[in-house]
Amino acid sequence: MGNKQTIFTDEQLDAYQDCTFFTRKEILRLHGRYHELAPHLVPMDYTKEPDCKLPLALIVAMPELNENPFRNRIVESFSEDGLGNQSFNDFVDMFSVLSEMAPRELKAIFAFKIYDFNVDNFLCKEDLEQTLNRLTKEELTEEEVQLVCEKAIEEADLDGDHKLSFADFENMITRAPDFLSTFHIRI
Amino acid sequence: MNSQLQRQGSATAVQGTGYTSDQGSPRLRRVTSSRSDQNGPQFNWRPASAAQEDAGQEAAVPPKDLRALPMPMALKRAISQVQQMQVPVLSSFQSWKRSKAKSLSRARKSIGGFLHYITLWRRSLNKIGGNFGDGVQSYFLFLRFLVVLNFLSSMLIIGFVLIPSIVFRSVASDSVNMTDNGTAECRQYDHKPDPLVRYFSYFLDLLSGTGFMEYTYLFYGYYRNTMVAESDFSYNIPLAYLFTAVFYFAFCLICITARAGTAVRVAVATGGGATGSYSRIVFTGWDFGCLSDRATKLKQKNLHYQLQVDLEEERIKNEAASLTLRRKVLLYSSRILLSLVAFGLIIAAFYGIYQATTFSQRKVKETGVLGLFYEYLPSIVITVGNFVVPVLCDQIALLERYNPSITVIVALLRSVFLRMVSLGVLLFTLWSQITCFEGVSEECALCHYNHKSYPCWETRVGQEMYKLTLFDLLITLAMLVLVEFPRRMVVDNSSNKLIQFVGRQEFLVPVNVLGLVYGQTVVWTGALFCPLLPLINTLKFVIVFYAKKITLFSNCRPAAKTFRSTKSKVFFLLVLLFGWSLALVALIYSIAEIHPSMSCGPFHSLVSMWAIVPDSFYSLSLTTQGFLYFIGSQRFSIPLFLFFSVVMCYFIALASVYGKSVDLLKAQLKLEARDKQFLVKQIEELSRTLGVAK
Repeated sequence: MGNKQTIFTDEQLDAYQDCTFFTRKEILRLHGRYHELAPHLVPMDYTKEPDCKLPLALIVAMPELNENPFRNRIVESFSEDGLGNQSFNDFVDMFSVLSEMAPRELKAIFAFKIYDFNVDNFLCKEDLEQTLNRLTKEELTEEEVQLVCEKAIEEADLDGDHKLSFADFENMITRAPDFLSTFHIRI
Repeated sequence: MNSQLQRQGSATAVQGTGYTSDQGSPRLRRVTSSRSDQNGPQFNWRPASAAQEDAGQEAAVPPKDLRALPMPMALKRAISQVQQMQVPVLSSFQSWKRSKAKSLSRARKSIGGFLHYITLWRRSLNKIGGNFGDGVQSYFLFLRFLVVLNFLSSMLIIGFVLIPSIVFRSVASDSVNMTDNGTAECRQYDHKPDPLVRYFSYFLDLLSGTGFMEYTYLFYGYYRNTMVAESDFSYNIPLAYLFTAVFYFAFCLICITARAGTAVRVAVATGGGATGSYSRIVFTGWDFGCLSDRATKLKQKNLHYQLQVDLEEERIKNEAASLTLRRKVLLYSSRILLSLVAFGLIIAAFYGIYQATTFSQRKVKETGVLGLFYEYLPSIVITVGNFVVPVLCDQIALLERYNPSITVIVALLRSVFLRMVSLGVLLFTLWSQITCFEGVSEECALCHYNHKSYPCWETRVGQEMYKLTLFDLLITLAMLVLVEFPRRMVVDNSSNKLIQFVGRQEFLVPVNVLGLVYGQTVVWTGALFCPLLPLINTLKFVIVFYAKKITLFSNCRPAAKTFRSTKSKVFFLLVLLFGWSLALVALIYSIAEIHPSMSCGPFHSLVSMWAIVPDSFYSLSLTTQGFLYFIGSQRFSIPLFLFFSVVMCYFIALASVYGKSVDLLKAQLKLEARDKQFLVKQIEELSRTLGVAK
């Protein structure tokens, strides 16, 4: 079945297999999903590497991302221009990192990017407050939010600068047993 | 390796703005935003400048490294193209090795793709996980594991015991060893079913394993002790039967420990996750795989609940620390009292099972529906006990006022104890009746077992286990139809406030998992006496899978409280191991202690089932005998034991050294951060004084 497809050349499929955690079949299926998002924009023939990018609004409408409170940040972190316009390469990259075979270190890098709302390479208190509000749909009181954020930073901050650098974040992630299974989108 | 270099990178970027300046060190990758390519991760395009690695290894970066790089796809593809072009000059042997490695990896990829395709129930499990969360999905994963385990072990049993029995039944006749210590009376076994029966009794026989089903391949009594010995081929059915049973247990143990190994490794590496609960909830609490709107809202409520529970636990801890001595004494004495009450309830349940079993065994000759009821009485009492006692134990645990997570664990442990040991009580009762443990001893003096009531006691035990398995399945299906569907219909169609408050039922993972473990323990205990029981259990678990899936999607609402899946995976497997060890005790006792019945089965001429092994031992060649003697002797086993002790001490020492070095590195990290802050302050002060001086 793989030999009869005309969407990618064999070299392209091999390259995708080497660079992501997907098999040939899954890559073709992902292309199908990408095409479904905008059938008139996305060409069926990718052998010439067309330069086609889908805007943020179309991608977050996917059922896998639609209900995720972090969907905008996820798509932005995996786009080249940082505004959420994804080419097929970015699209596959995103789902590869979020698949179950990606190693913990790789996922930690991108989780840090996703939770860093003001994109300053640190998770400061405002970032945490935004994360928490999205997690609990703003049902915690203001006081509880402050308390939880303070406690979270206190627990994870190793170098004492009251914000979390990537090293602090990664150290905390290694002690979290559920991270690999929660940071995972099934597609 | 990636993370180490990243830490290096973030340590050198002192200003913390994320702007990277090339320090000249090779392959420095940094965590930056993807806003501007200038700040994107760097990759060293010139392989030759890497001083540490030799040229051969450098260009041969395996594809796995590429996949784990945090770079955009276009860059990775460019890198892979460059790597492919940079093939160094290799000797023919190395290039042959390289091409073999490539074809091996390609074969592995295609096998992986094939396995992924045929994985049982993959899409259903994905759907369940997306809609109800990881905890419920772990139950179904466990069920799938048990289905595969039972299927493989039934293939084992069929291959080594059933098929040879069928083949050799027609070929060789039963070789009967006339021994002196058996009298004609002990060898009487009337297994022909009553020829004139009503149609209805076929159905009853199917449910209880008696009648036309008793003398079939299903039970122990039908197998013969055929020992085929031709010129170059010999097959000893009793030996095969025994060894298959032993190997079946060993196979299950290996599968369970292999599966537990991965889970335990994760649990140990993450240190149980007891510390850092707030940061953990905030950063890893959200399940990115949530699929439906309903699931999302529930997940949010869930996290809210978790955070509140944590805050509450903290408050309770603060309170508990400030209790006066008098109130502490009161609390502990009330806890002890309530534990005794719970224990007493469990003992009462055991006594009920004992009485029911003895009563049922007395009434074996009854026929019809009443007879069926008497046959199923032990199963009924066990099931009723398993419903009522845990509910009461839950209420007692609430009164004991532990903090919430400990309450769950305590209630769970009590349920496990109840279910497993109630099965043990049933077995103990059966065995005491078969071997006249107490009471009338003259019945057992003749044949070493109670041959009047149990002419073929192994078949009877097999029938009990068969009945337990079937009853479990029937109860599951009956609950589905008679309780869960009506409850949902009542909740959906009435607007009564109380009913809406009670609501649809939740899928309680621990209770269901215990049910599975109980069913599997019954199968393990009964496999020696009812060889086809694993096959029946495979079918039963498949039916249970689909039934539970239907009830999950139609009748249940997702739980408000989570069930943490990593710790729980280890817990399920530990409980399964506990059930396995209980079955192992039963196996060892049956094989070594009890006299096999003299009227049926492959071991009817032996003193104990294990006696076939020494008997066949002497038919081996002398060198093999000598070798086996040597392995069993002290000259071999003591040095082996010493060797394993040394290896274990080595690993324990290694583990403690690693733990200490981790602690040291953490302290070092903190010190370096303090140094950094100190230096930054110095710089600020210096620049201020310089600025003032100017």
